[in-house]
Amino acid sequence: MNRFWCFFFTGAAALAVLFCIVGSGPTYRWWFPGPSISPLGAQIDDLFYLILVITTVTFIGVNAILGYVLWKYGSGKPRRSDFSHGSHTLEVVSSIVTAGVLLFIALYQMDVWYRYRVKSTFDREAVAHPVAEVTARQFEWRIRYPGPGKTLEDTPQPTDLYTVNDLHVPSGKPVLIKLRSEDVLHSFFLPHLRIKQDAVPGLVIPVWFQADKTGIYDLVCAELCGWGHYKMRGQLTAEREDERQSYLKELSKTQFDDGVAEKEKSE
Amino acid sequence: MRVQFVLPYLMVGLAALLSGCGQPPPATFVLNKKTDELIPEARATVVAALNENFGNPNQLVAWQKFPINYGAAQPESASTNRHEAGWRLKEGRNLYMRHCMHCHGVSGDGNGPTAKFLNPRPRDYRQGVFKFKSTLAPLKPATADLTRVLKEGIPGTYMPSFVLLGDETLGLIIDYVRWLSIRGEVEIQLYNEFAAAGALEKDVKRAVAESEPKAKRSQVVADLMKTIDEELAETIESRAADIAEAWVTADLPESVITPTDKRVRPTPASIERGRKLYLSQIEGKKTQCADCHGPAGRGDGPNTEQFWPIPGTTPERKYEIVGLHDEWQLPQKPRDLTRGTYRGGRRPVDIYRRIYAGIRGTQMPGFGGTVLKTDEEIWDLVNYVLSIPFDGKESASPGDVQADSKEEVASH
Ligand code: HEC
Ligand code: HEC
Ligand SMILES: [Cu+2]
Repeated sequence: MNRFWCFFFTGAAALAVLFCIVGSGPTYRWWFPGPSISPLGAQIDDLFYLILVITTVTFIGVNAILGYVLWKYGSGKPRRSDFSHGSHTLEVVSSIVTAGVLLFIALYQMDVWYRYRVKSTFDREAVAHPVAEVTARQFEWRIRYPGPGKTLEDTPQPTDLYTVNDLHVPSGKPVLIKLRSEDVLHSFFLPHLRIKQDAVPGLVIPVWFQADKTGIYDLVCAELCGWGHYKMRGQLTAEREDERQSYLKELSKTQFDDGVAEKEKSE
Repeated sequence: MRVQFVLPYLMVGLAALLSGCGQPPPATFVLNKKTDELIPEARATVVAALNENFGNPNQLVAWQKFPINYGAAQPESASTNRHEAGWRLKEGRNLYMRHCMHCHGVSGDGNGPTAKFLNPRPRDYRQGVFKFKSTLAPLKPATADLTRVLKEGIPGTYMPSFVLLGDETLGLIIDYVRWLSIRGEVEIQLYNEFAAAGALEKDVKRAVAESEPKAKRSQVVADLMKTIDEELAETIESRAADIAEAWVTADLPESVITPTDKRVRPTPASIERGRKLYLSQIEGKKTQCADCHGPAGRGDGPNTEQFWPIPGTTPERKYEIVGLHDEWQLPQKPRDLTRGTYRGGRRPVDIYRRIYAGIRGTQMPGFGGTVLKTDEEIWDLVNYVLSIPFDGKESASPGDVQADSKEEVASH
């Protein structure tokens, strides 16, 4: 049992590091968030990786020191102990280094945070013309678009278009949605775009993002909102502006259907 | 030292053991409460008939009599599930159990584990009564109506949208829902038959008491069951045939309510005409909308302040709760029309159909062809209803679709 604990602890740490390295290989990509489809999302990923590197270096360093100590004093040979009342210098240095690292992260992320959350940095055009109002409710996403050529108002308008669970936005440009909740706290989560924003009853919260690649992405609820939380899923469809316009036109046609044309077809 | 090593293993082992236990009891179809009013012998006959023709949740029986696609065997299919006939029904059941059962219940009785927390309650399919449909008032819903309900959900209630499941999956679920509804209705019809034949507990008691000379209960029951059993096969066949036909009829094009005239443009004049109709201010057109929905459309008309009799009670009893009640004898408010939430859909044709045929299973009556004789009148009323959320000033209408889109694309 002499050096068992040394091998045990350094072994476990080494295994964890190894697993992460293997995990970042192509077969184990699920371990990592995957490529972001939005520019801001890519910056958020950069932050994530930066912090990952810092914590990895710290983790390896701490474990190396732990291993060294366990190795040195785990030989089982009897030796005289010495007494220490601590080292002032060591304490000051380690505090300053840690504080420095934290301060660095705090300052470094500010720019991304600012662009992510401060409304004055949002694209003017996107703020002036929100694409939709998304209302979270147990357990679905109700969506209200302004009618074609109209601007979204705070209150429902006669020309508004309604759908559920399928949010269509134009790709390749900043868009803004207004987020509401009808009942309890929910959270509007677009994992592929690294967007997560709580929906709070009584508040209208602007959320902006940009999907650079067309496609269909997950929209999920990220705030435990009741027993049906797990199935509160929707999808985000990012498509070219002209495709979106024809989608809206189709929606408008169905929504204002008076049933008469239907009959002509079936006859 | 030893103990410390053993402990983690023990805990992991224990956790593995525990997670394997606690299997839920097998799912069963529960009987309609009404069936319990029958004498045990007749009740057993109902149970046997249901078991034979519909099976149980783990062993479904695909009775070919009904217009339901049970799924023909596909021996070539890559999916082994499809090799046997009846695979669609089974798959529908699996999906139903996953997505719907916790509200609508295993038997489709609207009494799943979460149901008691919901208002309105999840639909009880067993009466075969559905609210939001395009077919004429007394008919079953068309398959397309059920699809629409599943895709859109029922806004303003807990019935969620399942649009992301896709058409094929929804088709499977809908066939299972129709099958459950048919099963429930067969049970109710058998109950009605047997009750009419005198197989209710109270009728048998009376028959025994009144018999001259005094007969034993066992004798009375034996006679009764003999007549029931003689006609049983035929009864089941004919009831099933009626139900099957009702579902076939619902899917015929002529069962759908289709306006002949196009929607009247929602001009202020049309909205005003609609408002007059709504308030029953037009001679000979007593719509009474305001009696239920209130003069301002808030769902607070005088009918909501009355105590209504319970239908089918002799002597007449009244509901203990004030206001309207639905077919399932639960209290129900007329819709607050100022909120702009339409459970059956917000298309003009949806509102048209609600006004034309009423809402089945509720006290909202139909007016088409009786009070409101022309399409124009109904459209005026539709225009008014759709304008209530906007203070009667304008009605939901398509935006000027042509003007916009080209510029919109060009400007970005
Ligand atoms: C969270 C509970 C819940 C779940 C889950 C749910 N429903 Fe419902 N459903 C309801 C409620 C509540 C109503 C009644 C609404 C009303 O009366 O206005 C309803 C009504 C219905 C109706 C009747 C519509 C009509 O026109 O009368 C059908 C059909 C239906 N549900 C099918 C389904 C199917 C199929 C599923 C599963 C895919 C499902 N529901 C899942 C709550 C639920
Ligand atoms: C006897 C009472 C009664 C009368 C009369 C009545 N309604 Fe209703 N109405 C109801 C009830 C109850 C509901 C709610 C049904 C439900 O919850 O599904 C309702 C629902 C509605 C809805 C909502 C449909 C939806 O999809 O959500 C509309 C629109 C409506 N009524 C319009 C009218 C109009 C227009 C008239 C007059 C022509 C009228 N009602 C007359 C009781 C009534
Ligand atoms: Cu939620």
